[in-house]
This record gives sequence, C-alpha cells and structure tokens, in this order.
Amino acid sequence: MIKANKIEKTYSKTAILTPVLNDITLSIQKGEYVAIMGTSGSGKSTLMYILGCLDKPTKGELELDGVDVYGMDDDALSALRNKKIGFVFQQFFLLERTTALDNVLLPLIYANKYPDDALQRGRKVLAQVGLEDRVEYLANELSGGQQQRVAIARALINDPDVIFADEPTGNLDSQSTAEILDILGHLHQEGRTIIIVTHDRTVANHAQRILELKDGRIAEIKNP
Amino acid sequence: MTRTIRIARESVRMMGRNKFRVFIMMLGIAVGVASLTLMMCVSKGAYERVMDTVNRQGPDLLQIRPGTDIQTGLPSGSREVVSLIEEDVSAILQHVGNIRAAAPVKDRKEIEVIYEDKFTLTRIFGVIPVWAQIRDFGPREGEFISEEDISFAARMCLIGQTVKKNLFGDLEPIGRTIRINNVPFTIKGELQWKGISSAGRDRDNRIVIPITTYTRRLFRDMHLTQIVITVEDTKKLNKTIKDVRTVLRDQHKITSGEPDDFAMRTPQDLIDLAYGTSRSLINLLTGIAAVSLLVAGIVIMNVMLASIAARKSEIGIRRAVGARKNDILKQFLIEGLIVSLFGGLMGMFLGMGGSVILSSLDVTASKITPLAIAAAILTCGLIAVVFGIFPAKKAANQNPIDTLKV
Repeated sequence: MIKANKIEKTYSKTAILTPVLNDITLSIQKGEYVAIMGTSGSGKSTLMYILGCLDKPTKGELELDGVDVYGMDDDALSALRNKKIGFVFQQFFLLERTTALDNVLLPLIYANKYPDDALQRGRKVLAQVGLEDRVEYLANELSGGQQQRVAIARALINDPDVIFADEPTGNLDSQSTAEILDILGHLHQEGRTIIIVTHDRTVANHAQRILELKDGRIAEIKNP
Repeated sequence: MTRTIRIARESVRMMGRNKFRVFIMMLGIAVGVASLTLMMCVSKGAYERVMDTVNRQGPDLLQIRPGTDIQTGLPSGSREVVSLIEEDVSAILQHVGNIRAAAPVKDRKEIEVIYEDKFTLTRIFGVIPVWAQIRDFGPREGEFISEEDISFAARMCLIGQTVKKNLFGDLEPIGRTIRINNVPFTIKGELQWKGISSAGRDRDNRIVIPITTYTRRLFRDMHLTQIVITVEDTKKLNKTIKDVRTVLRDQHKITSGEPDDFAMRTPQDLIDLAYGTSRSLINLLTGIAAVSLLVAGIVIMNVMLASIAARKSEIGIRRAVGARKNDILKQFLIEGLIVSLFGGLMGMFLGMGGSVILSSLDVTASKITPLAIAAAILTCGLIAVVFGIFPAKKAANQNPIDTLKV
C-alpha cells in the first residue's frame, strides 16, 4: 500500500539546515493498523504529512498504491488526497457554525464529480460513527468527542484507502478517547489501512505495528 | 453542479458565517464607489449645463469688446477705453472669410425709461437688423428694427420682458410711447424671453433701438461697445479668430509687440467661464473618489489578509481533503467579487442619492448617467480583482501543513 524509500526531509527556515527525517524506509501493507510514535518534535507529524501527500520529502521515493507520488504536481496530489486519503487531526478542524452533515460533505466539493447520493452518503458515514441523531447540529454545538467523530466521518466520505490520524485523542477525555479508538478499531476490522500518530503508548498499543521515530530515524518496536 | 459553482457556494456560505467582516469590506467599497458615482454625475451635470449655455449663446459666436479685460463676463463698463468703430466691422466683413454675419453694437446701462407715471432703469442697445439673427434675439411680438429704421434713425424700439413687466404690467405695450432719457420712442415689438445669462445678468432687462438713432438722438458715443460675429463653420473657428485679430490690429495700427486694444470672447471662454463653479467641485470629488477607492481597496486587502490569517485552519482542512490551490484562489476571489459587487451597488445608489440631493439643493448641476453606473460597476470589479488577488494568492499558496499546525 505505502512504500517509502530513503526519505529525507530538511527544513531550511533559518540558515541552518535542520534535518527532521533522515533515511526513512518503510512499507505499510493494505489493511494494516500502524502507529507512529515519538516524542514531540521527533518528526512524526512530518512523516505522516509526507506519507499522506500533504507535504513533499526533500529526497527519497514514495509510492502509494503502486503509484509514484514523488514526482506528482500539487493538483495531482490534491486529487489523490481527495480520493484515497482521509485525515483526522488533533484539533478536529471542523468548519465552525456549519452542520455536521455539511462538514462531512466538504471533501465532495473538491471531488471530480459531485455524487448524486451525497446526502445519503453523508448520513451513512455519520451513522457509522454513531452520530445519526446529530446530523443537523452545528459543529460548535457538539462535544469534543462528537466533533472528532464528525471528523472521522468526513475522512470516510470518499471511501478512502488510508486513514491518517494525527494525535486523534490528544484533545479528548478518557471516555471519548476510548470511543474514538473503538471506531478506528472497527474501521480496521472492515479492512481499512489506518496510520495513527501519537506520543501515547496506550493509544499506540491499539495498533498492530508500532514504529518509533527518534532523531529522525525509524525503529520498529512492535511487529506481530 | 460544476466544481466552480460548488466553490462559489462555499464562498457564499463562508461569507454568511462572517457577516460583520463582509459588511466592513462592503462599506469600504460603497464609500469609494459612491464618491465615484457622484463625481461622474456632477461632471456630467456641469458639462450639460455648460453646453447648454454655449448653445444658448451660440457655439459660433464671437464677441469683441474694447479694452483688454479678457476674462470678464460682465460688461467692461470702461467707457474710457475706446477702440472699436463701425469701420472695423466693414473691414472684418471684407477681409475675413468664414463670417456669416457681423454687427456693431453700442450700449449703455442704467438708463432712465419712463412710461406715464412708471419709471425703470434699463440697458439700451443700439443695433442693426442682423443683430437679431446673430444673438438669436428676435421679436416675440411685433417687428424687429428694419433697414428703414436705420436709414431714418427712427425712434422705434423693442423692449425686453423685464422692461415690459416693470412699465406695463398686463398692458399691451406695442404702439405705445415711452421716454428713453427723455426722448420719446414708439414700441414696435417685444423681445423674446431669454432669462439669466451665465454671468448672472438679466438678459430681459433691455431695450433695443436702431444704432443710428442711438448715436444721433440719444448718446453721442462714436465708439462701439461690442462687435458680434457669427461664423459659418465652427470647425474653422480658431483660424477665423486669428484672422479677425489680424484685421483689427491692422485697422487700429497696432505694431507688433504692442498688446491688443480689444478683447475677443470665444465659445471656449464661455465654456471656461461656465465651468468655473463646478470645476472645483469636480476636482474635489475626483480626489475624494480616488482616495476612497484606494482606501477601499486597502481595506478589502487587509480585511481579507486578516481573515486569511484567522481562517488558516479552514484553508488547511480544505487543502487536506483535496482542494487544489486554484480552488482556494477561486473561493477567495469570488468572495471579493461578491463583496465588491454588492458594495458597489450600495455605493452606486448612495452616489445617485447624493446626486439627486446636490442638484435639488442647487449646489451644482448633477445628472445620473449610464456612464456613471457603468464606471462604478467596472471600478469595483477592478478593485476586487486587483486588491483581492494578492490575499487570495497568499491563501492559496500557503503550505497546507503550515496551516494545520496548532
């Protein structure tokens, strides 16, 4: 599903080049549930953004579903994200004062063709995360856990191959955390590829595989 | 539903979430467009008034007066300056082409006129028959001065409407006798109603008599106070003016280097004179319009930049779920266009309202024109593009991961 070969990422915001990722080589199979762990500043989010085609590596090869991603232009990457990738973020990033349903439908606006059954699809994914009775609620009227569930539903609307979750439980209480991890677990059982980025070992333990980032290098610490 | 329509709907939806911001931007545009519209209306109004004056006076009319006080719209009044004589008129007719008609005029103001027990002060003009065509000032009732009146220096006169009102009220004046400077004259006609001149003079407060009678029976003025000329072809006006000047300098034996002892007033002078009051207002409004449009543009740009900073995560999430740079650019440009369109419409109506108020208060002539409306709409579209494109580009070109950082 995802193949990364010798990926490097360097930031040159100041005169000093700061390597964030160094010689990352990894491979993730379809249907895997992988956690990327690391302390804050270890580059785990950067790695996720690169794997999720939101950012480009400075060097290296990246293949997604057998397609070389490294050489793609911005528009092609956008289309790819739209079709094949779903994102869930720590801050939820829902549009405020916008209904749960409209938030969920957001990716469809940027799809090549707006599906005729958009509304049904939106309701269906909201039901999948247990929010069938919150469809018309505004984002800011929902609790944190509910907002994150809307975000997951939004990630699901285009039936993506991979879901990337960046500290999805970082802003949630323990009960909501459990709910979200439960939903991600279900999605994995349905056969989706899930990549979760976290600093929290108990969260990472829900995954089949744990990759740890340290000083820009990767170490496999749990492999079934 | 095409992608662009979907994006436009997003623009509208996001604007609805932030009405205050949108209102501020619209207000900025509205003020700018309002002053632009008003400026256009005022200049159009002023232009029409000027052209009206020029056409009323005649776009083909040249007036020559003795003396050198060129810019005056008022009668020169300087009796001492004596330079024009009747031979000048013949010389002009003889030596200058493109002349339709030329007439000598003598006049004096504030002359005592009596009818029975009524008394008025008015201006007396000594003219020849062709004067009526030159000044488009023929009789409303009765007949104008004839060649015979000129030959016999007849004591015949035509009175203006103000004189008629002052001396006769509702009476029929034709055939009655009045005393001008104590000399009896018979009224043979009434002059047309003319109203107030561009210089603010009452053009109806006058009496017209044969120029010969003027000289022989009233005042012994040998010199003319005016020569009036109409040209055949107004396109050749400038050449004609030059030729007249040459002939007059020649007649008056003015050597080169010496100034003219006469002044010519052309339709262009009339335009300048009539524009006078409106011009400063137009300049002011143009300045205000330019400044406020610039300010509006900067307001739009800054509010959009601020809103882009505030909407970082919105842009980031749109990019993350598959929006292309171009989609973000479109969203913000459409937002700018809608804002300036509605702000522009608001401003246009404000400006039109201002135009109506200005002209009804008689501050200046002002006329609502399609040109003003077109200019207003075009300008705000331009502003939206010029000042909206920079923030929109900035929004679109942000690195999505930067916009998604906490």
